Amino acid sequence: MRRGAAFAVGAIFGLTLSWSGMTNPDVLRDGLLFRDPYLMLFFASALATAFVGLRVLKILQARAVLTGEPVSWTTVRPERRHIAGSVLFGTGWAVADVCPGPIAAQLGQGVPWALATTAGMVFGIWVYLRRSAAVAPERRPRALGHRPERAPVAAEG
Amino acid sequence: MHQQLAWYIGGPVIGLCVVALRWLLNERLGATGAWSDVVERASERSVALGTRGWLLIGLIFGGIVFGLFGTSLEGYGWLTENFSGWVVVAVLAVAGALIGFGAKTAGGCTSGNGLSGNAVLSPASLVATGTFFGTAILVSFLTEALV
Repeated sequence: MRRGAAFAVGAIFGLTLSWSGMTNPDVLRDGLLFRDPYLMLFFASALATAFVGLRVLKILQARAVLTGEPVSWTTVRPERRHIAGSVLFGTGWAVADVCPGPIAAQLGQGVPWALATTAGMVFGIWVYLRRSAAVAPERRPRALGHRPERAPVAAEG
Repeated sequence: MHQQLAWYIGGPVIGLCVVALRWLLNERLGATGAWSDVVERASERSVALGTRGWLLIGLIFGGIVFGLFGTSLEGYGWLTENFSGWVVVAVLAVAGALIGFGAKTAGGCTSGNGLSGNAVLSPASLVATGTFFGTAILVSFLTEALV
């Protein structure tokens, strides 16, 4: 049931990303070069909807329908890795004009180029996982501010 | 599906996906986490996927549906306009590695940090999103000027 729900949300997500042109590199490129406002308007309206929707869940003190647990989330303090990682991610995003969600949708569409992007991305994730497994015991995050990190890294996705 | 969905429909539906996953399972929607779940389980030789893995299967399925009814891609944007096939494959593989490693390091991508994290005003996500949007705009203008 839980997996079915995740599948259903993913399917709507993937179809909408595709239909909105997020799997088309020209749409991404035109957005990042400010030739077409579509990308920025699409992103901003998605963010605004998510913001309002999550506030409503919080105000209603909703419980998760399939798990029964109270709807809650944690926030994360910024660290160097958030900047360093995002510089790498932003570079790859601008060159390939796709991010991880649309890469999956491109695979579904049968875009052959997506095989190359997927191979690289899976390799990148694998290298990260191996590296973090090797340094995990003595890992000390370097915080930007002076406050220690409170939220668990496992909460990120 | 031959015409691009209006942004004021597509955007809110994407936002509602973030809300739906939170409301149904109390989980954060993030495509990098979904990929990572599959990579982790594959390297442990496990075949059973968690909810994040099923989110990824859903994403691919959504792409399959669009592939059946929507318009297919001609070439691959600015890359195939400027480079030959194997160069594009190499460039995409390197870009993919930056995407995977970078998003994992930053704790999320456009969906995990850009939507889910920002929607709950997580400071790390706000910093990450400002950084990757700024970098992507800069790199796009740089490559446009150089190529």
